[in-house]
Amino acid sequence: MSTTIEHAERVQVKLYGEGAKLSEEALVPVWHRWISERRVEDDTLIDVADYGHVKDGPGIALIGHGADFFYDEGEGRPGLLIFRKRAFEGDLRARLEDAFARVLRAKSWLEAEPGLGARFGSDEVLVRILDRLHAPNDDATFEALAPIVREVAEKALGHAVEVSRAGTPKGPLSARVRRAAEA
Amino acid sequence: MSAPKTLPTKTWKSELEGRMPEAMAREIDVFEGQIALRKQGKIDERLFAETRLRRGVYGQRYDNGLRDDGTGPKPLTFPSDPLTKGPDTVWDAPGMQRIKVPYGKLSSEQLEILAELAEELSDAILHITTRQDIQLHFIHIEDAPDMHRRLAAVGLTTREACGNSVRNITACQFAGVCNDESFDVTPYAEAMTRFLLGHPDVQEFGRKFKIAFSGCDDHPCGLVTFHDLGAVAFVEDGKRYFKVVVGGGLGAVPVTAKVLAEKCPEEELLPLTQAVSRVFARLGEKQSRARARVKFLVQKLGIDEFKRLVAEEREALRDDPRWTEYLGNLAILDEKPIRPGGAIPQSPSPRFRAWVETNLRPQAQPGYYVATLTTPLGDLSSDQARSLADLARRYTGDAMRLTVEQNLCFRWLSGTDALAFWEEVEALGLGDPGASTLADPTSCPGTDTCKLGISSSRGLTAQLRKSLPVLAEDPALRGLRVKTSGCFNSCSQHHAADIGFLGVSRNVGGRKVPHFNVVLGGQWSQNAKSYGLVVGAVPSKNAPKAVELLTRTYAAERQGEEAFHEWISRIGKARIRALLESVSKAPSYEEDPSFYRDWGNPREYSTGDLGIGECAGEIVPWVEFGLTTAEQETYEAQDLHDAGEHAAAAAKAFASMVTAAKSLVRHLGGQVRDDAEDVVAAFDKHFVKTELFFDPFVKGKFAEFFLRAWARRSFETDDPERVHALLDEARLFLEACHACYQRVGATPTPITTLAPHAASPAE
Repeated sequence: MSTTIEHAERVQVKLYGEGAKLSEEALVPVWHRWISERRVEDDTLIDVADYGHVKDGPGIALIGHGADFFYDEGEGRPGLLIFRKRAFEGDLRARLEDAFARVLRAKSWLEAEPGLGARFGSDEVLVRILDRLHAPNDDATFEALAPIVREVAEKALGHAVEVSRAGTPKGPLSARVRRAAEA
Repeated sequence: MSAPKTLPTKTWKSELEGRMPEAMAREIDVFEGQIALRKQGKIDERLFAETRLRRGVYGQRYDNGLRDDGTGPKPLTFPSDPLTKGPDTVWDAPGMQRIKVPYGKLSSEQLEILAELAEELSDAILHITTRQDIQLHFIHIEDAPDMHRRLAAVGLTTREACGNSVRNITACQFAGVCNDESFDVTPYAEAMTRFLLGHPDVQEFGRKFKIAFSGCDDHPCGLVTFHDLGAVAFVEDGKRYFKVVVGGGLGAVPVTAKVLAEKCPEEELLPLTQAVSRVFARLGEKQSRARARVKFLVQKLGIDEFKRLVAEEREALRDDPRWTEYLGNLAILDEKPIRPGGAIPQSPSPRFRAWVETNLRPQAQPGYYVATLTTPLGDLSSDQARSLADLARRYTGDAMRLTVEQNLCFRWLSGTDALAFWEEVEALGLGDPGASTLADPTSCPGTDTCKLGISSSRGLTAQLRKSLPVLAEDPALRGLRVKTSGCFNSCSQHHAADIGFLGVSRNVGGRKVPHFNVVLGGQWSQNAKSYGLVVGAVPSKNAPKAVELLTRTYAAERQGEEAFHEWISRIGKARIRALLESVSKAPSYEEDPSFYRDWGNPREYSTGDLGIGECAGEIVPWVEFGLTTAEQETYEAQDLHDAGEHAAAAAKAFASMVTAAKSLVRHLGGQVRDDAEDVVAAFDKHFVKTELFFDPFVKGKFAEFFLRAWARRSFETDDPERVHALLDEARLFLEACHACYQRVGATPTPITTLAPHAASPAE
């Protein structure tokens, strides 16, 4: 690998919502409760921030020390996004594995919340690398990223996927993961 | 989990080398070093707190490691516990980064970098403050140095964004394109920013110092009357002057600034400000934070005595070419349009027509407009910011300015492009009409992130944003302003609003209920000519009803063109209280428990998360920063010596002596430049000849190390043995400086600061 992408520390994985957009009045109390009950055992959850007033913005954030959760409204498509932000042992692959595991765990928790009506799909996933030092948004870095994302996503989602470039030229390096068409 | 096979070779420091101004790069390296030293326990937490505050690295709610979940405070645990970054401030707890944007001017490139930093290190939100700064929240302190480097590479700094120094210098967002300004204050605000940033005379303040510029006396944009120092432009007989006011401020007790100079010639503006700074640093309160702003000093001395002291200090100032050199090139910051001007096209869209009416302001230059984008609660997402940078490139060039009403202006928009531009901002969710009207309320961060917040100012403002646009349809009400602060500190500038709110707590039936004091009758016009008064408190959940009651009654009872503050004055407080009576009581908990929770927060309301604000900074004498920097330089010198770079080590060792000596001289109030020659002369005069540096045992021996190193040019050697000796001497000299500082104390008797310039090369 000619890039230093393996050192990229900050990664995001987003699952898109299915059905109606969640009500912030319903979600905010749920995330406050997660803080109180220390829902994430290996991290410290700190606060909830509501940015529902910002169009296509970060939505509602559950801020943690090592990772944040967002009911993200980016691209105009609400979804559950995990932002693995603090460095920990391991390389990019390990960080992506961790982020996928966390977002899938959070998906199951939210979908189990009574009265919330949360549903998130896993046929389409957005992966973003928020580290312009080690992962600039260019062709060579994406070429290095794509096989790692494919391998991690297939293991985490349990099905074959296709990976394509996503995002905008000035945004972070992004990959769209889609369930592969059956042969 | 596998570890990376190699350590990263790329760093932001190496990537940006040569793209950052050298001095800024050096300062950031020093700050990074201080972070490392604090982690090793080698810097006191109080000193480190003020160090980071002066880099704009601020505390945030819950950073004491506790969070009240509605049933009482619960601990938040972090990996680095019990390491702290200040008294009661946990190392790993997220904090806020304030970024100075002088007079609010932003380029596309700067906006893009801010967007990148917000999404990589924060929560993808750029928050515009009421002083034309940008704030990012939930930042880890260890991410700060690289963030500062990336900002420095595009000409932005965080230095002195917080702490007891000169904060961001603000100015009217229309400066240079305004129809009725006396002249463009932009180059003066820029010159003052550059002159005062890091200036030794602004390092010893007991509190912050805020400066604002206005291009005229009549309109509100500069808001100079509630600043520590304000400058209002005017022209007389073809010559440019400023009316300079001093000692204004909001906070718990607002004070209108007093006139310091009715007619300050442009060439005197910087030296006059420097003289004010020296008087404030010398005589301002240092122990009691509550009385440490310059407004209290002006009150204590009286404006006439304050003026006399400033004049005396001005006489004694050493000439500085920076006072006037910028005057030779005032046009350097002039903006040029990138598109031909023209008329605004017709459109059937009522939203566009409403936007034109409230958000487009004709410039002095025909065919061009200032377009103000209303940013809800002052928040922009990273994606929005990137799109706006792109819009600026295509429509206006680098001519954006943040406003004190938490909005973003695009200047030099051709009327011809107005519709196309609006359609694009509308698609971004930023096309709302109503800028700077009742529909555009302002809010400080409040309980969302501020340690001092008592009630949810952002929650209330978000709620008001739903109801105010309807009220604003009434032309009688449209021009009113609503501003909400989470506590008495007035960060939303509620005193200058027609209707202001400040967060308070009340007990009802043994439970706490979030309330807001209602402040009425402030005057935003004429540079915030008068301040409103508290008329009573309403439960937070009733505040929208209070606004509706007040505005509807005003609209019904208004006589002719009577302004809101005139109406308030006419009907009197008793009538206002009677008017608010129906919304001033909270129902019992059993009747309506929602009153016992704040807006947007499901937790039972408490004030348990209140912390000690860091706005006041830590009162740390500047000499302590200097001695710490000198200490760090000796470490670096040692490292260079160990690496075989002996010449560089010698230079660095001597630099550490200069830094320490300079700090001591300035601690006594002496004026000294940064160059070694000046420092040696001043140190010799004030510490060696007076024997102030002498200790009972070795007398002036260690001072001799410094003077001799200078006289013999020991710092120019590359002989390893001589360098080694110099390192030892630097170390001993530094220890002696610490001892000397302890002897003279934190508040020494100042040396004769007012000696005329000619009396001594060091003065």
